[in-house]
Amino acid sequence: MRRLLWFVTLAIFLTGCRTDSSSNVIALSRLEPLPETVPAEVLPLRVAVAAVISPRGTIASYQPLLDYMSEKLHRPIELVQRRTYGEINDLVASGGVDIAFVCTGAYVVGSQQRGMDLLVAPQVNGEALYYSYLIVPADSPATGLNDLRDKVFAFTDPISTTGRLYPTSLVQALGETPETFFARTFFTYSHDKAIEAVANRVADGAAVDSLVYDFAVTRDPSLAQKVRIIHRSPPFGTPPVVVTPSIRPQLRAELQDLLLGLPDTPQGRAALAAIGVDRFVPVTDRDYDSVRQLVAQVGLGSVSPS
Amino acid sequence: MKRLLGSSLFRRFWAIAGAVNIRTKVLGIVLGMVLLLGLAVTLQVRVALTRSFDAQLQDRGVSVTRDLAARATDLILVNDLYALHQLLQETLTNNRDVRYAFILDPQGQLLAHTFGAGFPRGLLAANSVDPTEHHHAVWLSTDEGRVWDIAVPIFDGRAGVARVGLSETGMRHAVDAVTGQLLLTTVFVSAIGIAAATVLTWILTRPIISLVQAAEAVAQGDFSQQLTRWANDEIGDLAEAFNAMSESLARAARERAERDQLRAQYVSGVIAAQEEERKRIARELHDGTGQLLTSLLLGLRAIEDAGDHAEVRQRAGELREMVAHTLTEVRNLALQLRPSALDDLGLTDALDHYIADCCRHYGLHIEFTAHGLDEQRLPPTVETALYRMVQEALTNVARHAQAQVASVLLERRGQEIVLIVEDNGQGFDPDAVNKRGQRLGLYGIRERAELLGGKMTIESAPGQGTSLFVTIPLNSQVVSAEYSGLSEARQR
Repeated sequence: MRRLLWFVTLAIFLTGCRTDSSSNVIALSRLEPLPETVPAEVLPLRVAVAAVISPRGTIASYQPLLDYMSEKLHRPIELVQRRTYGEINDLVASGGVDIAFVCTGAYVVGSQQRGMDLLVAPQVNGEALYYSYLIVPADSPATGLNDLRDKVFAFTDPISTTGRLYPTSLVQALGETPETFFARTFFTYSHDKAIEAVANRVADGAAVDSLVYDFAVTRDPSLAQKVRIIHRSPPFGTPPVVVTPSIRPQLRAELQDLLLGLPDTPQGRAALAAIGVDRFVPVTDRDYDSVRQLVAQVGLGSVSPS
Repeated sequence: MKRLLGSSLFRRFWAIAGAVNIRTKVLGIVLGMVLLLGLAVTLQVRVALTRSFDAQLQDRGVSVTRDLAARATDLILVNDLYALHQLLQETLTNNRDVRYAFILDPQGQLLAHTFGAGFPRGLLAANSVDPTEHHHAVWLSTDEGRVWDIAVPIFDGRAGVARVGLSETGMRHAVDAVTGQLLLTTVFVSAIGIAAATVLTWILTRPIISLVQAAEAVAQGDFSQQLTRWANDEIGDLAEAFNAMSESLARAARERAERDQLRAQYVSGVIAAQEEERKRIARELHDGTGQLLTSLLLGLRAIEDAGDHAEVRQRAGELREMVAHTLTEVRNLALQLRPSALDDLGLTDALDHYIADCCRHYGLHIEFTAHGLDEQRLPPTVETALYRMVQEALTNVARHAQAQVASVLLERRGQEIVLIVEDNGQGFDPDAVNKRGQRLGLYGIRERAELLGGKMTIESAPGQGTSLFVTIPLNSQVVSAEYSGLSEARQR
């Protein structure tokens, strides 16, 4: 009898170490249909930002502006990002977004297809112009595009003016194509990644948006030690803010007023500072003729968004 | 109560452990130690491994989830749900322990997961993480065993939360495999232990078994058993001690047998002497006293027949002479049976008489000296014994020593009587006394001395004469009835 008691005690002791106290067991193999997603009560204003800089950089930079817009319009804002300029163009054309910050090349392509309306453009350092910078690693001996022959070159996006169209036009002027001139090319799909690719010597050279480059160097001065500009393009009109053609005129006017009036309030000025812009100014389609010319020259009709 | 239980447990243990032979005991010790050690180590290793593997599993889960969160950020921000799904599938395929992975948007809606159609109930709410936290891990109980559920905020929670579940099944298998290996090792070592213990016990018990056999042989009286010293250890010492013991036992037995034989001879000698004595007394009574009494009878009849007074007178005179002669004969006979001088005169004077007789009888020159015996008489038993011992010793001298001069010294030294009998005879080797008579004589002396608590020693060598020393203590005399009987029967 006593021996039995011993065994029972031992058994309890041994099994006691293994029992789990948590009561509700989750059945991983028994699956149930997912609950329906509840549609939002208030329709948010959908703002697209083209991948000029990386998605995370975009959130960091544009959040103050988006917050400001949400407050002024009394509407929630939904930030929409896509990997390529082409996807954003599609969204603008189909009304998938209400307003979009796009690149000049994307605008030219989009406007050709009557897929977007010009709203405003940013002004930096007193002018609504920007450039394409040809950059190489700081210790690279290259002094011009010629020195980058048979090297690795980083493009940003297929329809980026500064990141693809302009350097391609330079190569074509030499009577070559990027495929024959460079040893290898690749797309980074944002300008800050192109700068990092050169700084980290993943690419021997890249062409980037001057606004992005200057803003990046301002934020991280050590970048200027790693990267060197060897060429500056002629000026282009700055990347515009566009709206979908199907937008209500009242909302279009509201948005234009809001963006133009940003410098009038401290929050507005802070939001502008966060994206490295002095102010937004009204622009016309003609301001982008030089870009349109470039597109025609390089012949990117084939790369137009599908 | 506790002590009672303890002692009863010990008794039960001892009832088992004490009853089995050494081989089983050693086997039990070896097996017990190996099994105890093996099981303890296995248990310990199992616990330690489980603990360490748990921690490792959590660490790996955290790194997998954080990696997933980092790689998912851009995909979530640009709404690339297919790539997100691919990423989750890759995470599942490339990490064996990952059971599931899913991504929640900042509103807590499921963006992508690895379950296919449907989602387990309750899993979504089972874990959550604060955007400021590095990660948050909880143990989940599932129908497939325990799972570490790890939640990591993506892009500080702005892009949602990544959740990964790591099953402990793989880890359990690893722990079970190690446990199995350890148990197998324990069994293997136990087998080796049994073999080693068998050899060890054979080595250990072989000398003990031969010791037992030898001891049994000794108990049967066989002292010839000699043990081999197998090992230079305590058991070897025991074997040697046993050999020494059986040797000394054999010697003692030999001596005892010798003495028994001597005693038997002595007793038969005593009995023979007694018979001889009786025969002689009968003959003397018949030949001497009987003849005289017959002559007396004849003389008395002659007086009866005598004719005149003068003849009667003459015959009576002859008869009186005859009676006087008979009286002398009877007195001599009595004197020979027991020296009344010892009773009447005391030990010293009795010995004086006896030694004077000896000198006359054997033609020896014997000196007798006595010291310290005048003041008070010794106990009768001691006096008789000393008298007989001197008799025996001088008889030996006269018969075997071929000596011209002998001396007898009797001295009282405190509570001891010392008797020394010396001669200038041919001597002998005391260790090799062969002559039966001499041995018996010496044996008689020793026997008498030892009966009184004393002892006898002999110093002699061939050609060196003989000295015989006897000491008898006076305070403790043990005199047996047998002794008095023997001593009286010994007299001549």
